[in-house]
Amino acid sequence: MNAIAKFFADYGAEMLQSTREHVILTLIAVLIACAVAIPLGVLLARCRFKLLVNIVMGLASIIQPIPSLALVALTVVLFYLINGLLGIRLLATLGTGPALVALVAYALLPILRNTFIGIRQVDPTVVEVATGMGMTHRQILFSVQLPLALPFIMAGVRISTVWTIGVATLVSLVGAGGLGDLIFRGLSSYKIHLIMAGAGPAAVLALMLDWLLGRLEEWLAPSGLRNTNPQ
Amino acid sequence: MITFENVCKTYPDGTEAVCDLTLEVAEGETLVLLGTSGSGKTTTMKMVNRLIEPTGGRILVNGLDIMDQDPIYLRRKIGYAIQHIGLFPHMTVAENIAVVPKLLQWAQKDIDDRIDMLLETVGLEPGEFRSRSAFQLSGGQKQRVGVARSLAADPPIVLMDEPFGALDPITREQLQDEFLELESVIQKTIIFVTHDVVEAVKMGDRVALLDEGRLQQLAAPSELVESPANEFVDQFLGKHRFQLSLMTQTVRSVGPEAIRSGYKPDTRPTVSVGLRTSLVDALDLFKKTGAATLPIYEQRRYVGELAKRGLLHTITEVLGETESFSGESNGGQDEAGGVS
Repeated sequence: MNAIAKFFADYGAEMLQSTREHVILTLIAVLIACAVAIPLGVLLARCRFKLLVNIVMGLASIIQPIPSLALVALTVVLFYLINGLLGIRLLATLGTGPALVALVAYALLPILRNTFIGIRQVDPTVVEVATGMGMTHRQILFSVQLPLALPFIMAGVRISTVWTIGVATLVSLVGAGGLGDLIFRGLSSYKIHLIMAGAGPAAVLALMLDWLLGRLEEWLAPSGLRNTNPQ
Repeated sequence: MITFENVCKTYPDGTEAVCDLTLEVAEGETLVLLGTSGSGKTTTMKMVNRLIEPTGGRILVNGLDIMDQDPIYLRRKIGYAIQHIGLFPHMTVAENIAVVPKLLQWAQKDIDDRIDMLLETVGLEPGEFRSRSAFQLSGGQKQRVGVARSLAADPPIVLMDEPFGALDPITREQLQDEFLELESVIQKTIIFVTHDVVEAVKMGDRVALLDEGRLQQLAAPSELVESPANEFVDQFLGKHRFQLSLMTQTVRSVGPEAIRSGYKPDTRPTVSVGLRTSLVDALDLFKKTGAATLPIYEQRRYVGELAKRGLLHTITEVLGETESFSGESNGGQDEAGGVS
């Protein structure tokens, strides 16, 4: 009991601070990714030019196989090159900036792909009936296609969120803070308690956000898909 | 009410889906578009609410060219029902029915009343079914909801694309009967698409038989069955001819020797036939009641009584006629086996 009390006395404040940084970083990255990927996914799913669809989806897929640590490092390089090209120090090459760009880039694909698939899997007859009943394109999108694609989109958001929590432990390497700070300091000085103070909250965070998003999905679910058992 | 004037639909690849179609659907009439798949029947129907746009000719609804109207508003005034897959799977029964009234911005209370009224009309208890999802319904129930939904905003015109297509034969017949009853009350102008000639003859005031985008015959069911316009129509009726004849010929065609004067009952009996009752319905009544004779009423007037023997005699004659009609086709005998 004493040991636990001592652990929190030693690391509690720092854990809290780092967790807060971690959560904020993750949420901002996922929100930006949603804001980009969901509209883009919808546009692509309704786009008739197959080539354009393939190009955009291809570009998004290129990012995924890059190891996350390499991606974080590459963002720093990219920022450095942009600064060099412009001849001024426009972008801070370390800190939250490159960290967010790397996290967003990483979070994009699952949301984009799932939105695309989610809209595409809607039965075309259902869309035709909606058209035949006199819905506008916008009404069909918001009251038929998006509700039916919601489980897919939410699955994408959940995957992205969990990934981002993981990748966000790495951005402490470019000085963006987060729970990675504790983990890396613990590892380099071989302080087991310090490693635990970083890794523990990161794991709990991933589970918690996943669960919360699951609840959100249930809450958002359209009424017809909600009550799954016949009375 | 709906007029097709030399309507054509040619696709960019040159396929002619519908060609030079001219016909008129009268107000309150049920017009059945009958044909095989690829005959252009569904294309014809979808051109009315501009799901498919004609490439030639004109379609008038209430005297107005549909191409001059905003398709969105045009569609909201035309009911639309298709096979049961057409229910929105993410909406409850009530929400499905409410779609068009909501688009038309009805007050919520009116919408609610309308939903209850329609559910009762199609034989579903509102309290039980309002909040069910599409996947909690049987095929027949889905179809009832589909019909209710197409009537939701009380449109003067309803388009129905094989509405009973995906049902088992028993449910199907039940829904057809119910719909005929409903239809006689609501008096809508209906365009009904089917590939089933028996359904066409049963449901239609008139039947338009299409083949390869061209109108082969447009006639009342009895005329279609008794005087096919050409070889194709004749073939299309094929082995169903005997059944169709029994459906289109009425008690009136039973010879006078089979209708006897009989005693006029003091009160009107619960089971009776009319002069316009079809032979098959009359036969059905005899089967159900086990009676040897049934009283005939025309409107409220007692006409006489129909003897089962006389009816059977007429049916045998019909069978003989259809057999000589269809020549080598042996389908008629198959049907005869079912009756005896």
